[in-house]
Amino acid sequence: MDRGFSLIEVLVAMMVTTVATVALAQLSVISMRANYVARATTFTTVLAAQKMEQLRALAWASDPSGAEMSDTSTDTTVVPERSSGGTGLSPSPADALVTNTPGYCDFLDANGRTLGGGSTPPANTAYIRRWAIEPLQVPGNDALAFQVRVTPIATRVTGPHGRTPSEARLFGIKARKGT
Amino acid sequence: MQDDPGFSIVELLIAMAVTLCVMASTLSLVSDVQRGFASEGERADMQQRLRVATDAVSGDLLMAGAGAFQGTRAGPLDFFFASVLPGRQGASGADVAGTFKADTVTVLYVPPAGAAQTTIRQSLSPQSGSVSLNIDAGCPPNDSVCGFAAGMDVIVYDDTASYDTFRVTSAQAGSLQLQHTMLDGTQSYAPGAKIVEAASHTYYLKAAAATDTYQLMHYDGVSSDVAVVDHVVGLTFEYFGEPYPPVLLKPVTEPTGPWTTYGPKPPARDVRSTAYPAGENCAFQLDAAGLQHVPRLGFLGDGTMTLVKLIETQLTDGPWCPDGTSPHRYDADLLRIRKIGVTLRVEAALTALRGPAGVLFSHAGTSRAASRWLPDQEVRFEVAPRNLNFGR
Repeated sequence: MDRGFSLIEVLVAMMVTTVATVALAQLSVISMRANYVARATTFTTVLAAQKMEQLRALAWASDPSGAEMSDTSTDTTVVPERSSGGTGLSPSPADALVTNTPGYCDFLDANGRTLGGGSTPPANTAYIRRWAIEPLQVPGNDALAFQVRVTPIATRVTGPHGRTPSEARLFGIKARKGT
Repeated sequence: MQDDPGFSIVELLIAMAVTLCVMASTLSLVSDVQRGFASEGERADMQQRLRVATDAVSGDLLMAGAGAFQGTRAGPLDFFFASVLPGRQGASGADVAGTFKADTVTVLYVPPAGAAQTTIRQSLSPQSGSVSLNIDAGCPPNDSVCGFAAGMDVIVYDDTASYDTFRVTSAQAGSLQLQHTMLDGTQSYAPGAKIVEAASHTYYLKAAAATDTYQLMHYDGVSSDVAVVDHVVGLTFEYFGEPYPPVLLKPVTEPTGPWTTYGPKPPARDVRSTAYPAGENCAFQLDAAGLQHVPRLGFLGDGTMTLVKLIETQLTDGPWCPDGTSPHRYDADLLRIRKIGVTLRVEAALTALRGPAGVLFSHAGTSRAASRWLPDQEVRFEVAPRNLNFGR
């Protein structure tokens, strides 16, 4: 004799189905997040490279008479760059990569457009870009080491070694050129 | 038959309520997931397009100006002529001399590994034909054509700020058959002019509203004119230049360069090589007494070393290299370029994911539901070509 399902049985079955569906739906959430992180990583890398190119294009040479020409005043936080009011290629303080140091950090919106420098990010900041400039201890003391670190402001998660998932760090060296 | 009372009304109501709740939450989940499913793939695709476009453009801009590395007239191309041009150059559809297009750039460079290079043995006029080669020191051993081969693109240049591009159609026994791949020119190259393997890369935006085609295009200066990335709706190049005029570093009669901080060296005082007076070229002139070479270009900016944004009028007003009469003339201020800014914008390929035209969308789509919109994505980056960073 078949009396069909009891109400309890039906409820249990529905619970099981619901749990399974929600778990599956999590998959799409995970894939969207992965997509977001991928985009942020692409952006932070491009933005870090962009700062590297700016620093590379600053004057750091010897003029024909042998005198050093070092750009220590260009403000690279704006487009086009201003010739004064910035730090150019002056050495940065030790903590320039971890705190917002005026002259060694700028803020960017979601399209990577610069919003200027300073120490407090404006409201529509999406990425914080900080850089450090360190004279290399070599004979003549004429090479500079650059580090650029770009962090998306939305990710508050911190992974191992204090690194956020989609941040970018680039390192480069610039030597003084003769003319 | 057993008496079956069925569900009571209370049981039925509870069952229906539970079912409705579960259905409602499932449906809302489904609609979210469905929306994600429709747009996430395209979102990833857009990012990919932006990345590929950025890589392609920055890779070639970075190399701009790389020059010959052995023999006479070695060194970055900008010691001889401008390697970055704000227009299209090549065998077909080339812009006339002096054109400025914000969405087009042409860069020239000698490829990094083992590029063929030597000098020409007979004078060469700027048209298709054959040229015989000197086998200079540095040519591969036992090679009668010094590493040149059919299909290779080459540049011929001398000290007059002129250059011409060719494609090698055949190479044998010390001579090359060349196909001219520029607008017709007038400059004739004397024996000893440099010939070097070189690449021309033109990037430009193709915007055909009629067919809804928006593409980042690449032209190799000869025949290959292909789309690199689809659905690119914005492309702008900005140029940042050296504020200082070029300086002469040593007598122009010295055999090896660089003679200048940048730009082509002027001819000796009593030599006339272009339409400029004797001893002068597009970058240098003689002082009032006619004795010393002084820069023809002036200072830009505020007297500091900071790069200056070069605007269209500065790049189209002369002084012209090699001179104002040349069909290949280019503005001498192009020799100042040290950094190039690029702005790229891509859109969603599916019209169903684009809303009305405006700030978010360059081209309108069909979607009215903002929750489904996938706005255009833009990125701006800068490239400081390594071979153009004289003194930087």
